[in-house]
Amino acid sequence: MQSQANSPRKRSSAQMVAHIALLASLALIFSYVEAIIPYNPGIPGVKLGIANIVTVIALYKFGWKDAAAVSVIRIVLAGLLFNGIFGMFYALAGATVSFIGMCLLKKTKLFSVVGVSMAGGVLHNLGQLLVAAALIEDLRMFFYFPVLLFSGIAAGIAIGVGVTLVLKVLKY
Amino acid sequence: MKQYIRKADIILLIVLIIVGLASTAYVAMSRTGGDTVIIEQNGKMYAKYSLFEDRSVTIEGKHSTNIVTIKGGQVWMEESTCKNQVCVRHSKISAGGESIICLPNRVVVRVEGKGGGYDAVTS
Repeated sequence: MQSQANSPRKRSSAQMVAHIALLASLALIFSYVEAIIPYNPGIPGVKLGIANIVTVIALYKFGWKDAAAVSVIRIVLAGLLFNGIFGMFYALAGATVSFIGMCLLKKTKLFSVVGVSMAGGVLHNLGQLLVAAALIEDLRMFFYFPVLLFSGIAAGIAIGVGVTLVLKVLKY
Repeated sequence: MKQYIRKADIILLIVLIIVGLASTAYVAMSRTGGDTVIIEQNGKMYAKYSLFEDRSVTIEGKHSTNIVTIKGGQVWMEESTCKNQVCVRHSKISAGGESIICLPNRVVVRVEGKGGGYDAVTS
């Protein structure tokens, strides 16, 4: 089992299903915890996104396919259970942009986990902002850009540090 | 995983911070004292009011209702039929360029100043 962690393609499909399901449920719990914490910064879109810890860990430990599956399953389930369908599509857009960016940055091998996660945080907010601007047909949405950029940096770094710490002790 | 923070991370952070500061400066410069409240629905102008006349506006959509309150030079979303209620929790706005957006119901409440210098951004 131990040796297979580094070569995701050699896993049986049952193992893969189990892995993804486990990670997705863990991420879903994080989503739920975040959804029930009552805090309101007054500006939509500013949040930590702790569920992304799981996405980034999956990205580093199991490869991009698993991470994408975990991320999509988590967002769809969280959308159906508590975030609402609307928030779901919104989050999917942010997650897609952020995920592609993180995969590309990871591929350059120049960035650490913190750097990749930081870019992911910023791109997540940027993706949502783009969708929001398209939906509302108003580019003035970009007045939110500075706030969302800085909150994305902060959240991304926080997630990145969290992932670094987890990866350090994760034996599997 | 060899190093926790690498050179590229720092460069990326600096670039992002510079972009952030530049956009903050840009937003701050274009933010003027507001005097007009503009309400848009589905990307089209719905109504326009003075920021200094207290009133409550009900915006009816196909399947949605939003109630906007203008009082004491401030505007906020009083009620909305949307599920996420982000617009209702949004802080009150008063400066030119600020906006409250209810994405599910596609309603935008915006404060504009005398300059009206935002056309360059929109068009």
